[in-house]
Amino acid sequence: MKLKTPLTWAALALSAALMPVAHAADEVLVIGVNDALTGGGAVYGLPQANAVQMAADEINAAGGIKAGAINYKLKVITSDDKANPTEATNSVRKLIDRDNVKYLLGFCCSGSTSAVASFIAKEDAVMLVGNAAERAITAQGIPNVFRTRPPADFTGAAAGTFVAQKGARNVAVIGALEVGFYTQYVDAFEKELNKAGGKIIAKEAFGLRDRDMTPQLTKIRGLKPDAILVVGYVEPAAFVYRQAVELGLNVPRYGFTSGSEEQFLKVVTSAQMEGVWDLRPTELTVEALGPQAKAYDANYRKKFNQSPTPSSPYAYDQVYVLKNAIERAGSANDAKKVADAVRTLPIPKEAVMKYIANDGNAMFDQNGQAYTSNGAFQWQKGKWVFVSELPSDNKAYSQFLRSIRK
Amino acid sequence: MNELLQQILNGLAIGSVYTLVALGLTVVFGILGIAHFAHGSLAMFGGYLTFVFSTSMGLSFFASIALAMPVGAVMGMLIERLAYRPVRDAPHINAFIIALGLTMMLEGGNLLLFGADQVIIQTPYQQVFDFGGIFVAQLRLVVIVTAVSLVAAVTWLLLKTKTGKSVRAVAQNRHAAVLMGVNVNFVSSVVFAISSALGVAAGALIGALLALAPGVGESFAVKGFAVLILGGLGSLPGAILGGLVLGVSESLAAGFLSSAYKDVISFLIMILVLLVMPQGLMGKK
Repeated sequence: MKLKTPLTWAALALSAALMPVAHAADEVLVIGVNDALTGGGAVYGLPQANAVQMAADEINAAGGIKAGAINYKLKVITSDDKANPTEATNSVRKLIDRDNVKYLLGFCCSGSTSAVASFIAKEDAVMLVGNAAERAITAQGIPNVFRTRPPADFTGAAAGTFVAQKGARNVAVIGALEVGFYTQYVDAFEKELNKAGGKIIAKEAFGLRDRDMTPQLTKIRGLKPDAILVVGYVEPAAFVYRQAVELGLNVPRYGFTSGSEEQFLKVVTSAQMEGVWDLRPTELTVEALGPQAKAYDANYRKKFNQSPTPSSPYAYDQVYVLKNAIERAGSANDAKKVADAVRTLPIPKEAVMKYIANDGNAMFDQNGQAYTSNGAFQWQKGKWVFVSELPSDNKAYSQFLRSIRK
Repeated sequence: MNELLQQILNGLAIGSVYTLVALGLTVVFGILGIAHFAHGSLAMFGGYLTFVFSTSMGLSFFASIALAMPVGAVMGMLIERLAYRPVRDAPHINAFIIALGLTMMLEGGNLLLFGADQVIIQTPYQQVFDFGGIFVAQLRLVVIVTAVSLVAAVTWLLLKTKTGKSVRAVAQNRHAAVLMGVNVNFVSSVVFAISSALGVAAGALIGALLALAPGVGESFAVKGFAVLILGGLGSLPGAILGGLVLGVSESLAAGFLSSAYKDVISFLIMILVLLVMPQGLMGKK
């Protein structure tokens, strides 16, 4: 196009005038969600990705993030790691190298998350971990890794105390025991149970893909336990609850599975679930949490046409942690500055989960770990009902976590 | 004793599904000499289809299966006509490679059509019966009875009908059958129709008893072949016996040894049988 004729100049001027006037230097901040969007982990990963999108849309509608003089609107890119460590490494590499993402959110599953955590310290990035429960992720004390979800054994210990208080003395465990954090939960559980004079009489395992646990349950039935503990992903765990009833195993069933009512009802009837306990971080429980949780639940249902899973707010809260940290740091370009801001950040008022503050009123402790309260939930007439809090000591745990750093 | 009986009973339900899968495989292998790996994925497709019929059309469990089975039969005939017949007279390896390719296509198709989440077919059979400490879920009984009925129906079809006679003739000696005026193409289609219909039923039963999800089909195909080897390639009674033996062995191994052995047991059995008794339990030497 020759810039010589007046007509061309006029055309240029006109198009410049017709361009929408940008809102005081609105820039786009691209954030990346790395999660299990397909495969066995998708039951945890997909809701997290949805939650991040919802939070980003809310923030944008409210005006965006103000970092110093620049106003940012959020753009969310999702990347599927299929809960696989190799895929996760590739996925995050692409986000960092190809999409120039500095802020990584999501991370539902421990295997894939640990793989990313092993190299993220060298990157110009901040990694916010969600549902992944493996203790080592924060035990290592990596300066740019933060996790909203408490490690599994923090909850396991509280659960053990609770179950012992309920009078159980011979507990049979059936779970996804080749997965590190489930074993950590059980070990912490066992320690507290032993203190009260109880013991674990069996430890049976099942895999993520298993659906028929009748052999393990039959074996457990023969040992005459006074309670069973089920730890594992919701899809196979639902079958354990159903098959326990089908085998006439009429003892209290305690679990650590974190599934929504919908996920369970696909497999097991409400009558069969009646009385089952879930001993887990308080997570999303509309009655136990405040108006934030109620709003989150309503908005999620409206936007995605399904109920939010109990652990999805871990990712929602990550976005608000990021927003507040960037505003505090006054910059979105310096990942290290933002990480430092996260470290001392108080609990954001927009957070859905109920966090317990650490020293200095900070949301995250010296390991980059946040702590939510733990709760005892029971399935009553088709719904998970919050019954009581589990006795949990985050300060003691935080020191323990620091002490195991190599 | 109670525990042993309970484990055996648990194993019989899964075993009867293995029998159905193996029966579908053995008619194809015994009569046409094709190692039809894609059978497992086709069975899953049938299961998913049954789920769709029962949810979107509100049909009862058995009505949905009854509708899905002819669809499966037609698909089986299409697969035979388009994928296997062109390589009928070529080296066996060609059919093998095609079978693997078909498996990938069907798995991919299932994923696209039905998604990655697990699918469970709801049934009204939720009761549990207590026989003096041995508990039997009504659904497991339904599965066993259905499988037995289908096996009986297929056996009747093959032994008592003219079509069945043609099929057995081709199995015995294809060239002689051609000389006797048997339409081999027709027989091939019938065999695949029967095999696929059985596969669809197996998929539906698994969808009701356990769950349908990506990857389940392949593991069923592998277990089906283990049963084939155990029972004897091409032997119908062998497939029936083998399926039940595998189901019960898995249950006993998981219950008395360790749950880690559950999937390993099918491979162990295959290896043992191939070493010690390669013709299988009921195979001809």
